[in-house]
Amino acid sequence: MNFTFTKKEEKFRGELRAWLETNLPTGWLEGDRQLPKDPQHYSQFLRDWQRALYEGGWAAIAWPKEYGGRDATLMEEIIYHQEMVRVQSPPLINYIGIHMVAPTLMQMGTDSQKDEFIEKILTGEQVWSQGYSEPSAGSDLSAIQTMAVKKDGKWVINGQKVWTSFAHLADRCFLLTKTEKSEGKHDGITVFLLDMHQPGVETVPIVQMDGHQEFNEVYLTDAIATDADVVGEVGKGWKVLIALMLHERSGIAAQVFTLEQQFDRVVDMAKSVQVCGVSLMEDPFVGDGLADLYTRINGAKLNYYRNITHTLKNGKPGPESSLDKLLVSELTKELFDFAMTIQGHAGILMAEDALFDSDMQGQYLASFGATIGGGTSEVQRNTIGERILGLPKDLGR
Amino acid sequence: MDFALSEEQELFRTAIRKYMTDLGKTDIARSIIDGKLESITRVTSGLAEMGISAIPIPEEQDGLGLGALDLVPVFEETGRVLLPGIQLETLALAVPLLNAYGTQVQKSNWLTKVATGESTISVAWYEQNRGLTPKSFSAIAAKTTSGYAVTGTKTLVSVLGNPDIFVTAAQTAEGKSLFLIKASDVASQKILPGIDETQQIAQLTFDQAPAELLGEPGEAAQMLDNALLHFNAALCSSMVGGMDELVHTTTEYAKIRIQFNQPIGRFQAVKHGIVNMKLDLETARSLSYYAAWAVENNTEDKETAVHSARSFVSKAYIKAAADSIQLHGGIGFTEELDVQLYLKRARYYENYFGSVRDSRKKAARALGWHTKSTKQHPVPVS
Repeated sequence: MNFTFTKKEEKFRGELRAWLETNLPTGWLEGDRQLPKDPQHYSQFLRDWQRALYEGGWAAIAWPKEYGGRDATLMEEIIYHQEMVRVQSPPLINYIGIHMVAPTLMQMGTDSQKDEFIEKILTGEQVWSQGYSEPSAGSDLSAIQTMAVKKDGKWVINGQKVWTSFAHLADRCFLLTKTEKSEGKHDGITVFLLDMHQPGVETVPIVQMDGHQEFNEVYLTDAIATDADVVGEVGKGWKVLIALMLHERSGIAAQVFTLEQQFDRVVDMAKSVQVCGVSLMEDPFVGDGLADLYTRINGAKLNYYRNITHTLKNGKPGPESSLDKLLVSELTKELFDFAMTIQGHAGILMAEDALFDSDMQGQYLASFGATIGGGTSEVQRNTIGERILGLPKDLGR
Repeated sequence: MDFALSEEQELFRTAIRKYMTDLGKTDIARSIIDGKLESITRVTSGLAEMGISAIPIPEEQDGLGLGALDLVPVFEETGRVLLPGIQLETLALAVPLLNAYGTQVQKSNWLTKVATGESTISVAWYEQNRGLTPKSFSAIAAKTTSGYAVTGTKTLVSVLGNPDIFVTAAQTAEGKSLFLIKASDVASQKILPGIDETQQIAQLTFDQAPAELLGEPGEAAQMLDNALLHFNAALCSSMVGGMDELVHTTTEYAKIRIQFNQPIGRFQAVKHGIVNMKLDLETARSLSYYAAWAVENNTEDKETAVHSARSFVSKAYIKAAADSIQLHGGIGFTEELDVQLYLKRARYYENYFGSVRDSRKKAARALGWHTKSTKQHPVPVS
């Protein structure tokens, strides 16, 4: 058992820290972390940030060197996430392009697809979304109904996507379609690299319960794609999809460390906020509840470390990542639920009128997305039950 | 980053598990309920033969000089089968106390015997109607020409397997102090009915019992607090072992129990219930590994690590056993199944040498959450 980092890893951390100190947006490290409110400026701000990451060599550290990455080890990726969370860096606008689309293209894209897209993904010139979910196909992706039909040498696509992250900012979409009606649920699926800037693509933002707009509905009406836009083989999209999902190997790290940081903020609040002249922390209910949350959040982090150790020893991740995802997202919800409770009547006010100088109420509302996005808690429990414990599958799957 | 037990430690686990399986798993625990107390002697010498009782003993006293992490697989595997007895008290509470505070003579008298399995030691700390941290003890130690004489009554003393000595605490002029008292000098012993019938807890009465001082007088509370870090880490391992067995047996049952023409494990209500047990098990295991690592390496965060682990694992063990009873349905409520024994063991440990609340308070204090003395402002009238 050993929790220390190697000299090489510490050097890596040092380099990244030094780079962040000089390259984060002005005022960011001092705590001024406002993102522009209107979509235009927001998009430009984040594209600039990705460009800066690219120029510093920090946009896609896990990529092979030949594509502009650093061939980073899994531990370096973890350190990267730790440091990014520590400075609460701006979000990566092209997360999907960098962590999912480009690695998949490197593995199974054509040479011309690699030439056309990979560098633009890295620089932030081209932002990507992924078109998976549909109104009738959320967790069950094999039930998609969006159809692509070959007509006069081109693919004509009709259907509707939903929960499409970044679609309102995206240039391209990693689109899942049906190209034939087939018996097997996983047959007849084809993946297209769809150009979003065409008349047949309409994007309608979805307003979340916390007031933010991160998702969209995407309506496809005679949208056009060519054979050159197909990833892998026509009708064999399920294979592409599985490949893509396996590329997100360290995604949970950012969430683990974010949760830890969010917990520290709640502790700060409990220490600094006073009710009737007594700090919240002196209330035994608060201390006891925080000690309980601390333990479980720390436990989730240690679980993650144990699973990482397993991955490092076995060379590939196992189904344990479902366990990490489930724990972290559920704890995020519980943490902010508790943060609401302990504030008492002052917890009714939002934003700048909130009791504490951060927006706990906003984070509370946002936390409901944690146990839904990226696979609901129910789906994670099925995965753990079936793939880790070996319990029988639900009927119909 | 390497957050796993070593290969040697895992190999040791395999050996102990085999030994426990050969003993019939929970058969030993059930034999205690049937009054066959002598079965413990066989287990104690068997464990000693495997070198287990020598693990935490220094090499000078014929031990192996190993650490808290080496005890993790041991206590997970003994906890898995609810092994009765005072292995925890001896190896994870009395030994750390003797190691840290014993004189050379005390060490060579007792640690060598523990290493070879000749001796076991229990701890007599609690008094009736008092908690783990009483201001004073009603048991009194008076100075004599040769040492001390202790008079008083102690309760909740684990006595299975006839320990040769008791580490006990009594009041002296200097404050609460620790003593060693030979079992043969105990005036009377009364077995108390406990919720966990696979253990034996007793009330001990001392009447001018000759006692050897252990460590400095007046320092009993501090000494116990330090040793309890070892004890709680080991206790967590034992509870994790029990949880692991509960998850395993419940999962297997859900695979074979047919209702509505299908295994009940196919139903999400059952499946998700078992998954929740599994989640708690993995968290408990991570916390307990880390606690043992912190104790072994004497890290700055060892108090937080141990007490947060203890508070979580205690609760999770109870919940796992309770959920397992529910998921087993009617059979789960019967005496026939072992599940109920795990529940009783979990409840027994819950308030044994500490509690969830105690541990949370200690963890919070160790994290520095509480300012030294917050002046309580009078509550404004409005």
